[in-house]
Amino acid sequence: MADELTAATVMRTRRLPAFEAPFLRAPEGARRVFLVTLGAACAPLLAGVVLFGWRAAVVACICVAACVIIEHVTYRVAHTPALGGRSHAYLTGVLLALTLPAFTPWYVAVIASAFAVIIGKAVFGGVGHFLWQPALVGRFAVAVMFPALLAPGDWPVLAQNRLLVGDVTDARTPMDYRGWQDRSAPEGADAFRLPHPRRALAKLTNRPTDAPPAYSGLAMPRLEMPGAAPAALHAPSPDRLPPMRDLVFGTRPGGIGETCIIVLLVAGGYLVYRDYVRWQLPVAFLASAWCVAAVAPVQLAGPSQTVETVWFPLLVEGLDVGFTYVNYQLLSGATVLAATFLITEMSSRPATVGGQVIFGAAAGALAMGLQLYVTAVPIPAYAAVLAMNTFAPWIERMWRPRVLGRRRLAWLGSLVHPFGERRPKR
Amino acid sequence: MLARRYATFTGGIDLPDLKDATLDAPVRPGPVPARLRVPLAPCGGPPAEPVVAAGQRVVAGQRLGAASDDAAVDVYAPATGTVSRLTRVATAGRYGPAHSDAVELVELEHLPELPAEPPTAGWRELAAAQVRERIADGALTTFRRGAEPLSGWIERARAAGCRVLIANVMEHEPYVTADHALLRARGRQVAGGLMLLGRAIGAETVYLAADRRRTDDYHPAEDAARELGIEPVALEHKYPTGADVMLVKILTRCETPPGGSPTDVGAAVVDAATCFATYAQVACGVRPSGRVVTVAGERTSRVGNFFVPFGVGCVDLVGAPGPPVLHGGAMTALRCDEATVTSPASDAVLAPAVETPPHPGPCIRCGWCVAHCPARLNVAALNDAFELADVDRAARLGVRACIACGVCSYICPARLPLTQRMNQLNRAVGRVADG
Ligand code: SF4
Ligand code: SF4
Repeated sequence: MADELTAATVMRTRRLPAFEAPFLRAPEGARRVFLVTLGAACAPLLAGVVLFGWRAAVVACICVAACVIIEHVTYRVAHTPALGGRSHAYLTGVLLALTLPAFTPWYVAVIASAFAVIIGKAVFGGVGHFLWQPALVGRFAVAVMFPALLAPGDWPVLAQNRLLVGDVTDARTPMDYRGWQDRSAPEGADAFRLPHPRRALAKLTNRPTDAPPAYSGLAMPRLEMPGAAPAALHAPSPDRLPPMRDLVFGTRPGGIGETCIIVLLVAGGYLVYRDYVRWQLPVAFLASAWCVAAVAPVQLAGPSQTVETVWFPLLVEGLDVGFTYVNYQLLSGATVLAATFLITEMSSRPATVGGQVIFGAAAGALAMGLQLYVTAVPIPAYAAVLAMNTFAPWIERMWRPRVLGRRRLAWLGSLVHPFGERRPKR
Repeated sequence: MLARRYATFTGGIDLPDLKDATLDAPVRPGPVPARLRVPLAPCGGPPAEPVVAAGQRVVAGQRLGAASDDAAVDVYAPATGTVSRLTRVATAGRYGPAHSDAVELVELEHLPELPAEPPTAGWRELAAAQVRERIADGALTTFRRGAEPLSGWIERARAAGCRVLIANVMEHEPYVTADHALLRARGRQVAGGLMLLGRAIGAETVYLAADRRRTDDYHPAEDAARELGIEPVALEHKYPTGADVMLVKILTRCETPPGGSPTDVGAAVVDAATCFATYAQVACGVRPSGRVVTVAGERTSRVGNFFVPFGVGCVDLVGAPGPPVLHGGAMTALRCDEATVTSPASDAVLAPAVETPPHPGPCIRCGWCVAHCPARLNVAALNDAFELADVDRAARLGVRACIACGVCSYICPARLPLTQRMNQLNRAVGRVADG
């Protein structure tokens, strides 16, 4: 083995197999890691296909096929071997499909895949080198290019009796919609057209000051206890929030894999069990988003047609109402999908647990901040993840666990003296 | 064995044990070799001056080489035989194979067996100075990778003021059971040798640290140890608990400074084979002529724990077709070639079923190496530093704390040879820092 450590010898030998200890290897290779993650990502995809019908399956197939083909072509052109076969291209395709709504036209899916593979991965040199989660790069690109199409407005949800086989574009706005359960499809259509919960929530908390509030979003007459819920649950149809049950099972407007919280949690738990994800990262992300939603000021209807800005929405109407409101904020968007599959992408997060906690907490706070205050951003959770991906290498460099045998904060000294740890003199 | 709580360390990993084949094997005499190539520099460093000539008949225990300075030891014939020539061999040095001169013996007779002589009266009452004198007489070395003269080791520990002596019988590496077999067969003697060593370096606390799963086999050693004022401790099985630095951290809660050795924090670490050799020499007057070696692996049928004289060719010993033959536990082993012979440092010679090493891919930043590194290094960042050949950055990240345990290479899904890279960085940093 060449003893001199120069850039030239490293370049020559770094892809050669090493015949040195250890002679045992753990069985899991990079390809297996990607394939198992892919398997886990298929769970919310299947849930999405059931909830949003065959069009979701078509979107997923287009994304996967486009990612694989484009990746194959780019690597052919660039003469670089793809790591782990095409497993990461499949994974990128599925993750991208999870973030897109089921009514996405085919060309949008193809463009998103192209951005994901080319800008997200190939430009940086492939797996392991990219800065931003590739699927999110694709999603972000189409969100910018087709704002009208993908803005969270009125999105469709299949009716109970049309699950799996229904056509999600064949939607009507239902009159007097109280919840998905026990409601069969509207006359001559397969799906309900419902307001995206994000939009409904924004109406509650971010109404323009000059518009007189029709009702106080969070306020609820104390007389109606028990069964705490924001008053919006009882509001007239267009402003009504879906029941909490719909949020948990995923029968509400959203991306293919964004909505089914239960399946997302199970699949994410499996990734944690396999040690592909440290639990600290998604927990930090969700917890910090939850805390921001609990604390950050919202605008509520005050007495006699005024609007007032109130801090601590968790407490302002009582814990029960506040708790429901905060959970709505957390579960209604793409936050859970981002926490389980997107922020945990290996190459674009810090490697140390401490770094991951900082990274996740910052991304969660940013996601909730965007969701609450920047209605112009259609994909707050994804934008937050992308933004924090940018800082991941920096966090990685700044967060240094104490190396064995070093004094605490010894690295401060090493900033001035690169060889601060000479061998102790005997 | 005990009800006291000890510290632990972050990282580490559960390795497959792979010891079943040899765990219950008694220590047997090894296969009879055709020749011995007795290394004249078992400790690396300068070789002993040969004092025999080709064609001469030597008897077991006769001196073959005279030490030229303090870093070397006298070398004695492990068996009776005829000197055929001087040759070159390789032994296991700390950082890789160490090449040295050797005396080749053929027409062998009286091959050594595991010593079982009765102790001389009064060995327990020997004063520290007397123990050190007898150790120096016997040309003892330490019985581990990077062997050194035992007298020198004792002086170093005394100079550093070591108050703690730890016998490391963890045997955390897959396949290896040599110390385990020795402790089963000669537990009282190992404990006696440990006590003598503790006296020689003036240690106040002496531990006998063993794997918790194996303690049922160690009752004689345990009883003798308690009687001699040694504290037996049983520790959880987790690789690399048996690395000296980790063991010292567990038992004394002191962290060895990066690039240092446990003596820097006042703890000395030995293994069972050194203790046994000390006992045999000091209490029974028997010079070491061989050691217990585990021969194991899927590719050999000659599986067991053998008492093997120094200078047996590793490839002949294992009797396996084709490379690789490994010297030492599979996580830190060296590859043997025809020139490699057994020496005091040989705890195992293995022929495991290893696949051809895979081509490393790019790091996918899974973070497993970081999570499992017992030295809490950011191995992924160090790998970047390696690929950029940035030695300064590696030094800042603390690469000198690496204990070369092999966990990062073992676990890396991109199949990067991380341990090897850390070693290279370490040597580069050492060169710059030491001058
Ligand atoms: S070989 Fe070194 S860097 Fe790798 S896990 Fe062990 S101590 Fe850490
Ligand atoms: S284990 Fe290998 S692939 Fe994973 S972060 Fe470490 S070097 Fe990279």
